[in-house]
Amino acid sequence: MEIKLTVNNEKRKVNVKPHTRLIDLLREDLGLTGTKEGCGKGECGACTVLMDNKVVTSCLVLAVQADGSEILTIEGLETKDKLHPIQQAFIDTGAVQCGYCIPGMIISSKKLIDQNLNPSDDQIKRALSGNICRCTGYVKIVDAVKQAAHEIKSGVK
Amino acid sequence: MKKQSKDVKNRPTSSGRDSKEYFRPKSKKELKEILKNNDILTIIAGGTDLLVSNYQKLYKIDKWLDLDLIDEFKEVKIFDDKIEIGSMVTHDRLVRLEKIKELFPILHSAALDLGSPQIRSRGTIGGNIVTSSPAGDLLPPLLVYDAEVVIISDQEERKVDLNTFFTGPKKNVLKEGEILEKIVIPLKKDKSRGVWKKVGKRKALVISSISLALNIVFDKDNIIKKAKMAIGSAAPVPLRIKSAEEILIGQSLDSIDYIKVAKAAAKQISPIDDIRGTAEYRISVAKNITKSALKEVTK
Repeated sequence: MEIKLTVNNEKRKVNVKPHTRLIDLLREDLGLTGTKEGCGKGECGACTVLMDNKVVTSCLVLAVQADGSEILTIEGLETKDKLHPIQQAFIDTGAVQCGYCIPGMIISSKKLIDQNLNPSDDQIKRALSGNICRCTGYVKIVDAVKQAAHEIKSGVK
Repeated sequence: MKKQSKDVKNRPTSSGRDSKEYFRPKSKKELKEILKNNDILTIIAGGTDLLVSNYQKLYKIDKWLDLDLIDEFKEVKIFDDKIEIGSMVTHDRLVRLEKIKELFPILHSAALDLGSPQIRSRGTIGGNIVTSSPAGDLLPPLLVYDAEVVIISDQEERKVDLNTFFTGPKKNVLKEGEILEKIVIPLKKDKSRGVWKKVGKRKALVISSISLALNIVFDKDNIIKKAKMAIGSAAPVPLRIKSAEEILIGQSLDSIDYIKVAKAAAKQISPIDDIRGTAEYRISVAKNITKSALKEVTK
């Protein structure tokens, strides 16, 4: 069955099977392998993307259900040759260890920062509560989100 | 530096076997038509349970029925004497509804504690009920608020008291071809005070080891006029604790015998040993959260 959706601001038309998951569509059909599959059961958050501006685990959404929606993946964040401030902040603060959870972490962070440019530690922890880092680097991840929010806020002024 | 996604051609062959039937009705009318002409449909709401329990065998599902496009099932209607919540209302929306927060604070708190932001974006109130897990987070609050569910099929419509809806772990009274359309919660004139407690191994993304919802109506002299209490994850179904309710009614704030109520609660549940805790642990925690919930509500 054919579905149409917008992925990272590009209109795409794809043929999918009823059981194709959004993550398979992104990684296999569209070649967007920045989105990672961790547990495949919605518990780790590695496959988090924005779907119509809501955070979703793309392993728990059927591709068909994304018909007509707007998807943002990690690949959609950078502009030309410049990383998104959140990506840069994750590098600057040393928040990335093995890196596998980071695309999901950054998408969840973006959702938070879009709504709140002054997030508290608790708000950051709550926003990232669906994303697991097994290198146990949460302190630096929280630092990264704060720094990114600060930079985006200064940039906006 | 950046690999543009448009540089990559679609590779549509990599997504598995060929198509089977996938129904996406846009209205209740279309839904009934599909129900009339098909048996054995796998119904998907938010998919947050279904895709987990069918992980790696999704291709085995023959006929999908996706409720996601039925706008009538996403409506929330407020009347003088009741509120109707469509089965496809997500947890995230439930959390954001000011009316729910104001009128049904325990339901609000439970929805806020459920899963993760990602799960709350997709998971639905109807899905939580139909999955019928004894640990379903919204179920104890819905029980204490005397919720009813409206069930439809291609032929008829029936209303079921949620207290009689669950028949066992992940079992309920729904028959083949029946769909949960909406949840109806009566609006009561009495002002009530409620508490929600969820105990688990971590705060997010956890299936509760035990949960409790308590809702109490005091009269003007601070005597308990009505009491409703329900416990999750401690019996084959989410359970109303009527023995504790009976003890509470008629008590004044300072005359409540916390230990007596807690013992009654512990006696009524029948927990099992599992990965999330032993039966012994659950009985002990049931007593403790009963006491702490009572203290909180009478503060």
